[in-house]
Amino acid sequence: MSAKLTAKIVFGLALSITALSGTQASADSTLERIKGRGKLTVGLILSGAPFGFIDPKTQEQKGYNVDIAKALAADLGVELESVTVTPPNRVQFLQQGKVDILIANMQYTEERAKVLDYVPTPYDRAGGAAVVRKDSGLKDWADLKGKPVCISQGSNYAQPLAEEYGAIVKGLPSQPESLLALQGGNCVAAVHVGATVGLLLQDRADEWKDFAIPFPNELIPSDSVIWLRKGEADTQKALDESVKKLHASGKLLELAKANRLLNTKYLEEENKKLSAK
Amino acid sequence: MQDMNLTSLFIELMARLGLNYEFLATGYEAQIWRDGFLTTLYLVAVTIPVSLIVGLIFAACLTSNRPWLSAPVRGFVELTRNTPTLVQLMFSFLVLNTVVSNMVGGAQNNPLSPFFWVVAVVGLHVAALHAEAIRGGIEAVPSSMIEAARGMGFSPFEIMRYVQIPLAFRSSLPAIVNGLISLVKSTTVGNAIAVSEITYASIMVWTQRDNVVELMIVLLAFFSLINFVVARVGSWVERRLAIPGYGL
Amino acid sequence: MSMTATQASKTTSKSSRVLRSIGFVAMPLLVIGWSLIDLSLGRELVEWIPYLASGFSMNILITICAVTLGTTAGVLLGLMQLAPYWFVRLPAQVYVQIFRNAPALVLIFATTYIFPFEVVLFGNYLPFPDWVKAVIGLAILSSAYIAEITRGAVLSIPTTQWEATKGLGFSRLQALRYVILPQCVRRSLPPWMNVASSMAMGTSLASLVGVHELMHAATDASTAVRRLDFTIIAYVVVMAAFFTLCYPIARLTRRLERRFNTG
Repeated sequence: MSAKLTAKIVFGLALSITALSGTQASADSTLERIKGRGKLTVGLILSGAPFGFIDPKTQEQKGYNVDIAKALAADLGVELESVTVTPPNRVQFLQQGKVDILIANMQYTEERAKVLDYVPTPYDRAGGAAVVRKDSGLKDWADLKGKPVCISQGSNYAQPLAEEYGAIVKGLPSQPESLLALQGGNCVAAVHVGATVGLLLQDRADEWKDFAIPFPNELIPSDSVIWLRKGEADTQKALDESVKKLHASGKLLELAKANRLLNTKYLEEENKKLSAK
Repeated sequence: MQDMNLTSLFIELMARLGLNYEFLATGYEAQIWRDGFLTTLYLVAVTIPVSLIVGLIFAACLTSNRPWLSAPVRGFVELTRNTPTLVQLMFSFLVLNTVVSNMVGGAQNNPLSPFFWVVAVVGLHVAALHAEAIRGGIEAVPSSMIEAARGMGFSPFEIMRYVQIPLAFRSSLPAIVNGLISLVKSTTVGNAIAVSEITYASIMVWTQRDNVVELMIVLLAFFSLINFVVARVGSWVERRLAIPGYGL
Repeated sequence: MSMTATQASKTTSKSSRVLRSIGFVAMPLLVIGWSLIDLSLGRELVEWIPYLASGFSMNILITICAVTLGTTAGVLLGLMQLAPYWFVRLPAQVYVQIFRNAPALVLIFATTYIFPFEVVLFGNYLPFPDWVKAVIGLAILSSAYIAEITRGAVLSIPTTQWEATKGLGFSRLQALRYVILPQCVRRSLPPWMNVASSMAMGTSLASLVGVHELMHAATDASTAVRRLDFTIIAYVVVMAAFFTLCYPIARLTRRLERRFNTG
């Protein structure tokens, strides 16, 4: 009985202690551990094609993010171990050491860079696109002022939509729910990563014939980077070299095309720039 | 201005402890977070009476001798008790709400907000728990007592009104208070359909700021406080209604 | 049980027996019916069934572990709350007050982030999987609930029974064990059932911390398939699965409850 009590007290204390030591990095170097175990553990997000999704037949993960992870592991000469992450848990997984790096649709933001380190060379550039009803008469981001806009929880479009364009942001658990809410008329637009919704409208043209992506430019186009724990300079350096190599060899561009990314302009530029060197 | 200084002082102090509350200094995130507390309180205040009234009606239907009353209620009680509230809510909002929209001719005419759906789904779910508790209480009333009441010339309705319900209410009170506490906690499912209660606000903040632990501490404290009040009121009623001769 | 009440419950049980039996199969039938009407949807769903099933087995595993752990701890805590000594009573009361007030979602998040992802035991690294953390989160919550139920049940026993056991020379613990607790079981069965099924349904929250369970699997599936009607039917499937798990438990418990009442 007293052991039980102790356990409870420990639990209470543990809550406060973890709170205090929230962002403590692990003592031994991640790169050494990756090499030592022969395994690179990557946190991947399954946000839908072309980035990440499950294949029902093999129950395996597929998509651009997954392929990048495989290519990186191969370049480091280790095996890939993938862990599915979600927006609410991905940073915790990284900081706990459960994953070594995150390739999880996380764009570079100043706030994030305060908490985490990132690989300086981006693997993609992505911005938000708004799916709206064709007869809605919406022409640009500014037209969303005062209107309900659906996004998925954890997307970084909430703040610009609300602050810059005055939209009423509604965050639903994930992209399928957000799109369902759009079709049900619960919001006038659904804003998601351009490549995913672009491919969706193209692939399922029949179901989405009343909808379009009419706005001329993407919302906050920013660099998609690989994130890692703070203060791991050698891992950062090793990964940066790998990403550069993948850019230069055209491997990333090839993966993007194989996964049908609609806009590969950025990757082509990087490929040209780095292969010239 | 004074308020601004207090906020930055708080952020500064917490940062020394290793806690990141920097979002409080921003406009949008701090705003939705503060509103989240109010929305949660409002949600709880509306849903509790709904659940109690509907729960009583359900219990009356369940213990009535009329199958046309008890069967549909039984069906609903089974459905709501045996499926996750989260899924019910998603289903109601994404499917039923669309059906309603189509019936009234377009989403712009649909008066039902996400807030309504949370009150309806959580309220009716907890009402089903109340109904089962009260029904259990009614069936636990000693038959000798009902016989005595009948002997004194009470009608079935009077037996219900003066004997069964008062006793059933007392014996089911702990379960009802538990139900209300789970109601308070269930309002957090509102986050799934973008009702801007405190969990939703926290998710919106922590997915951008990655400060889950900081917000969790506040969440835990906030819900403890609401439920402390609910439990206190519950045990006050329990004591007020206690019958000498029962219990320790 | 009075005459009218018995008759009433008889007629109700007769008339709703059909309804109750339908209950077992209603939701799965809805899913099958829909899949047959729209064959392309049905084919898509069949393809995903193994993936969804692997998710659902995780829900069942978490439920069983959490309820077992929670019940054991909860009954002990409930009895501790009634102990004559304050140093036994107080910690139990504090524990129950804190944790029965915490939303399951918050507890699951807390346990996930507090415990490490692996533990060192005799120099070996043992993984500490997320589903175990979800079990602990839910067990903490259910133990607080069950403690309250136990306490309420003991308190609902007439004082005269305690006095009678004293008269018979029983000690307090003996009275609990042989007289009070057996009666409590009956009184606490319905609310215990509520806790058990709400734990089962609470397992769906584990999806938010990345446990591969049904809700998580359904979201993965809807994300991959990218069809609106598939997203809807995925929700119906999730509901059907939980209903098929919880409804028989509910029926069984009610049967036990009736047996205790007449016995």
